Amino acid sequence: MNGIELREVWFRYPGSREWTLRGVSLEIRRGEVLALVGPNGSGKTTILKLAGGLYRPSRGKVKFWRSNIWEVNGSRRLELRRMVVYVHERPILLRGTALDNIAFAPLLRGMPREEAVRRAEELLSDTESAYLSRKDRREMSAGEAQVVSILRAVAASPRILLLDEPTAHLDREKRGVMTGLIGKLRSEGMGIAIATHDHLLALRTADRVAVVENGVIGSIGRPSEVLDFFKIY
Amino acid sequence: MGEVLEIVLRSLVVSGTATLLASIWSIALAYLLVRSPRASRPLIPLLEGMVGIPTVLIGLLLYLLLSRQGPLGMLRLLYSPQAIVIGQAILITPLITSVAYRVLSHSWNIYGELTLSLGAAEGQAAKIVISESLPGVAAAVVMGFSRALGELGVALMVGGNIKGYTRVMTTAIALEVSKGEFELAMSLGIILLLMLAMISLTLRFLGRLRE
Repeated sequence: MNGIELREVWFRYPGSREWTLRGVSLEIRRGEVLALVGPNGSGKTTILKLAGGLYRPSRGKVKFWRSNIWEVNGSRRLELRRMVVYVHERPILLRGTALDNIAFAPLLRGMPREEAVRRAEELLSDTESAYLSRKDRREMSAGEAQVVSILRAVAASPRILLLDEPTAHLDREKRGVMTGLIGKLRSEGMGIAIATHDHLLALRTADRVAVVENGVIGSIGRPSEVLDFFKIY
Repeated sequence: MGEVLEIVLRSLVVSGTATLLASIWSIALAYLLVRSPRASRPLIPLLEGMVGIPTVLIGLLLYLLLSRQGPLGMLRLLYSPQAIVIGQAILITPLITSVAYRVLSHSWNIYGELTLSLGAAEGQAAKIVISESLPGVAAAVVMGFSRALGELGVALMVGGNIKGYTRVMTTAIALEVSKGEFELAMSLGIILLLMLAMISLTLRFLGRLRE
């Protein structure tokens, strides 16, 4: 399995009696886009966080390239976790400018500063966002912060990118830029999972769509195969 | 005036040292508790309950430990500035730990998860979380300093209020009032109030930085 596999995953938040996920099995493969769609509270974000190794499943397995992420030792887990990046729905930026934030991810992985800054500048320029480079996080709009947080994740060069509502704060122009970026990353071999209410984004970019309802995968298939979902919602 | 200055300086050095010591272990403990929810569940309510512990109780326990017949009597620390430092450090540990825990916990939920998701090792994540919480953690330290500076029980019971050696602002005020010498007590009281007001302003400033 070239990617992430969730096998019969059950999950409930600490202190809760309710299961958030009930027996979810799912694959996120390199070189394809998987869209998770479904109503609020259905479990889409939880699936992405489990797939990012940020949450430990209550039951079941989360495998990164066939290794159970929760059964390997610390250094191997770090190595596996670095193949995947999760981007929060609500953009979280660290102190500093857009450039500082984007360069942070490759710096964290040991890239020399000059190279990391160059990579950040390239990404900003490729997404028509170069004007943001010197902007401090306090001066950014929610949409700008979302662009920066997505570019920061891309700068980390993960094999799998997990995007939680990546277009929630974006205007039409920026949505177009992000849709283009997702297509480009996929063509370069990156695997991308998107939790979204933006059905247009799901239809335009996804190779497969999984419909999440009440903590289970209701159906999964090509966008044309789950068209009923889009009609209902 | 010379005596007042000496007492003020001694108070600052003693309470400052106690705050520094308590901060080192309290911030480390708070971070460990953030990363160990199982331990934090019973410990945090306990620490929060100990925030308001009477200073005389700490003074009494420390007195029993440090007195000649006590288990730590051989250290000969009773009635020394070091004894006050130890007592005040113990006194403010629950306060700094519980406030720092709240700040770090909030910060961890935001930045810890973010940095881990970006591929940070545990140490790198800790560095970012603490750096993003600095104004809040500093506020916890300032609160601790304020409590140490204004306490009386520990300084009186294990310091002994020895002139030129262990006399600090609060013990000096208590002594002067008991002697009916209100002039010195009033000047020390005003200085103490001004210092606490400055600390309060610093806290407000740090709070604004946090926002």
